[in-house]
Amino acid sequence: MRNTRSSRRRVLRLGGAAGLASLAGCNGILGGGGGGGGGSEGGDGGGAAGQIGSGRSPFGDRNISGTPMAEMPDLSGELTLYSGRGEPLVGQLITFIEDLYPDLTIRPRYNSAAELVNQIETEGDGSPADVFFSVNAGALGALKDRERTVELPTEALDMVPDQFHDPDGMWIGTSGRARTIPYNTNELSESDVPDDIFAFPETEAFRDAIGCAPSYSSFQAFVTAMRALNGEEETRQWLDGMLELGLQHDYADEFLVSQAVADGELRAGFANHYYIQRVLAGRPDAPISTAFTAGDAGAIFNVAGACVLDTAEDADLASTFVRHLLSAEAQDYFARETFEYPLVPGVDPIGDLPTIDELNPPEDLDLTQLSDLEGTVDLLQDVGML
Amino acid sequence: MATDTPTADDAGDDLPLPTTVASAAVAAAVLLPLVWLVRTALDVGLADAIDISTRPSTVEVFINSAALVVVVTVASVLIGVPLAFLTVRTDLPFRRWFTVAVSLPLVIPSYVGAFAFVSAFGPQGAFQRLLAPLGVERLPEIYGFHGAALVVTLYTYPYVFITTRAALKSLDTTLIDAARTLDHSRWEAFRRVTVPQIKPAVGAGALLVALYALSDFGTPAIMQFDAFTRVIFVEFTSFGRDVAALLSLQLVAVTLLILGLESHVRGNEPLYAGRQGGRTGGTIRLGKWKYVAVAACLTVSGVALIVPLGILLSWLSQGGAEVGRSLAFRPEYAINSIGVSAGAALVAVVAGLPVAYLAAKHPTRLTDAFERATYVGYAVPGVVLGLALVYLGTSYARPLYQTIYLLIAAYVVRFLPQAVGSMRASFLRVNPALPEAARTLGRSSFGAFRAVTLPLIAPGLFGGAALVFLTTMKELPATLLLRPSGFKTLVTHIWTATESGYYGHAAVPALILLGVSGLSMLVILSQEGYDVK
Repeated sequence: MRNTRSSRRRVLRLGGAAGLASLAGCNGILGGGGGGGGGSEGGDGGGAAGQIGSGRSPFGDRNISGTPMAEMPDLSGELTLYSGRGEPLVGQLITFIEDLYPDLTIRPRYNSAAELVNQIETEGDGSPADVFFSVNAGALGALKDRERTVELPTEALDMVPDQFHDPDGMWIGTSGRARTIPYNTNELSESDVPDDIFAFPETEAFRDAIGCAPSYSSFQAFVTAMRALNGEEETRQWLDGMLELGLQHDYADEFLVSQAVADGELRAGFANHYYIQRVLAGRPDAPISTAFTAGDAGAIFNVAGACVLDTAEDADLASTFVRHLLSAEAQDYFARETFEYPLVPGVDPIGDLPTIDELNPPEDLDLTQLSDLEGTVDLLQDVGML
Repeated sequence: MATDTPTADDAGDDLPLPTTVASAAVAAAVLLPLVWLVRTALDVGLADAIDISTRPSTVEVFINSAALVVVVTVASVLIGVPLAFLTVRTDLPFRRWFTVAVSLPLVIPSYVGAFAFVSAFGPQGAFQRLLAPLGVERLPEIYGFHGAALVVTLYTYPYVFITTRAALKSLDTTLIDAARTLDHSRWEAFRRVTVPQIKPAVGAGALLVALYALSDFGTPAIMQFDAFTRVIFVEFTSFGRDVAALLSLQLVAVTLLILGLESHVRGNEPLYAGRQGGRTGGTIRLGKWKYVAVAACLTVSGVALIVPLGILLSWLSQGGAEVGRSLAFRPEYAINSIGVSAGAALVAVVAGLPVAYLAAKHPTRLTDAFERATYVGYAVPGVVLGLALVYLGTSYARPLYQTIYLLIAAYVVRFLPQAVGSMRASFLRVNPALPEAARTLGRSSFGAFRAVTLPLIAPGLFGGAALVFLTTMKELPATLLLRPSGFKTLVTHIWTATESGYYGHAAVPALILLGVSGLSMLVILSQEGYDVK
């Protein structure tokens, strides 16, 4: 059992175990601590933008910049929100927005993003949905491809850098997540994890001990990115190479992959950055840490986002609601409560996370390309992973 | 309607009209979702359809699923029938307690059970860590076929248990006494008298097990077993609704095959004695075997219940003591669960009654077809059925869409055969001479049914209601698609916790799910029949 060495050239450990424990304990990643949900008591220097939730940050007071909700048009009426993001993660935010306006009723409907896309498509013209809030760009792109979305106003689109919204303005990112390599700190040291995804199949330290969740949408987005960046053939070779290395490919989702890494069942895996944090939130002493690759499909930065549906009864209400998800308060909420990356410039991620600018996602990758999951599924079936 | 004699030659001549119309309506209603399946599957081009259906991986997963179905069904009969016998026909201590305990695994959602088994018995799992100091290096592999078969069996054998139990309860034990006086050994009496009497019920339970194993989504995914449903799941997550519908239709075809096989095996012979009613005295004394019997009951229910509860509780204690508001438990979740489950059980029994009656008492091709039709919705994965009802609801029943009513309708379509199978087995054991006697004494046809037949089939009726109730308690995929926005049940609450990775917070609602279901079982059992001890 080696201890992790302290080299941090490439690997960015996302906070020590103790720090995370207090983060989970005090800040309530489980949906908020004891404080009043509607309270906005945060940031001394933050002007009109307050914090959602407990308002206590283990990292001290934050200055929240960006556009506060108070500077946005009021919301009134009834809004049906199909949310592919879980209630424990976003329920508090939705309630906060609803409580802010006396004439607003939000009817949230929670399910997995893929199932909601299937549901919206099956509902056809009869869909009661106004806004779809998705965990990934793929599900948003799928609805765009099926011509079920309407264009968002520039007031919304201009709030984030261009790479985080659809080029046609059909959907917009609201927070981001990085692809990472969780590894077991008892089994591997940081330098054992290559920073080039194409070096993985030759990495003997991973033999029979690296795992993934091929039916999970984020993993499919990663493979889709590789197909887009490196072509079909190179992706197939990489997958074959990983299978020859003994890639364990039967996990149902990436939380399970991360759990397996923490348990020592795997030495390393493929997962979104926040799953590692959630394992650590439950088990602060778990021997798991985070590594990143650089400039390749293994380092893609995907977004959660929202779109307005063509069945929306009041498209203005729907798009103004989407803007609220980009408010200073909401962006700060994503950073603190879900460990995600805020997308509005000026709201920083929490803790020891590298900033968006310090990550090395592949250049020239359009996130809408990630919606072509069918080709990826065919490929994964072809090589025998699904 | 002059005679209810269920002999094969004349039964069809004289179908009671109102009952037949009711049966036909029920059968048509439960087949409606197929409309959507066919419609959507047609979006797949013919060439693609052939390609998808014949690609090697499709064939392989079909074989995998078939193996799972066979093993799980056989194992469930081997577990369920002896347990039913012990709790009904012997002096097993704490019989009612055990009856509830061995029924309860049915309410554990398979993804919770399977997940817990992986956590407990997987490499580096809880038991591995526990046993490591004793020098146990490696537990037997839990992933793959063995694990999937084990977990599906543990959570479906109660189908066989409950249906068999109902049959044993209404078994006329004077027949066994007669056999015994005719020098039959206990085993011979069991084989020649009890087995034929309970065979339809065992068959009904085994059929439910087989079709469940075929259509289960969660367990194969978690146990890393390449079953057919996993392929459908993959298509759904990549927005391939059309291909998923096509594959689901193939699942329906397999279902029809299994139903056909079962029709051949089960037979339609009526099973009644000259006298009937309440002669279920004379329990078998277990003597020293009592301890073995108790140990067997404890082992089965213990493994199936304590593993998931233990794992959930250990997660609860390990971390995340702070429960956010959205994960905080509210009593209304339990009330909602019980409400929709009771509603579904009631509607399923009422809708299933004419179907079961005709299939048992007037077996013709037509009435058999009605009865078999009720199984189709059950064999389609819940998410597929849910989407089919989303389509039907938004297209033809807008006011009902995302209301409790369509939700309960979905449950009934999914779980109706559980009630039908159990009630049909009971009807087969009703001696037609008894209602006929009531008729000669001046009762109307319906009056005779109410006064004589209904009490006789009560155990089967309550057994069927119990099955529908318990499975509705744990139903997830159709619930997520069809519930009113904001409507939460115990199982959607468990899903909310596990889906976001907060597994520890699934412990409390899971415990309440078990507690509430256990209590409900006690209520159902106390209503079960006139001769419950």
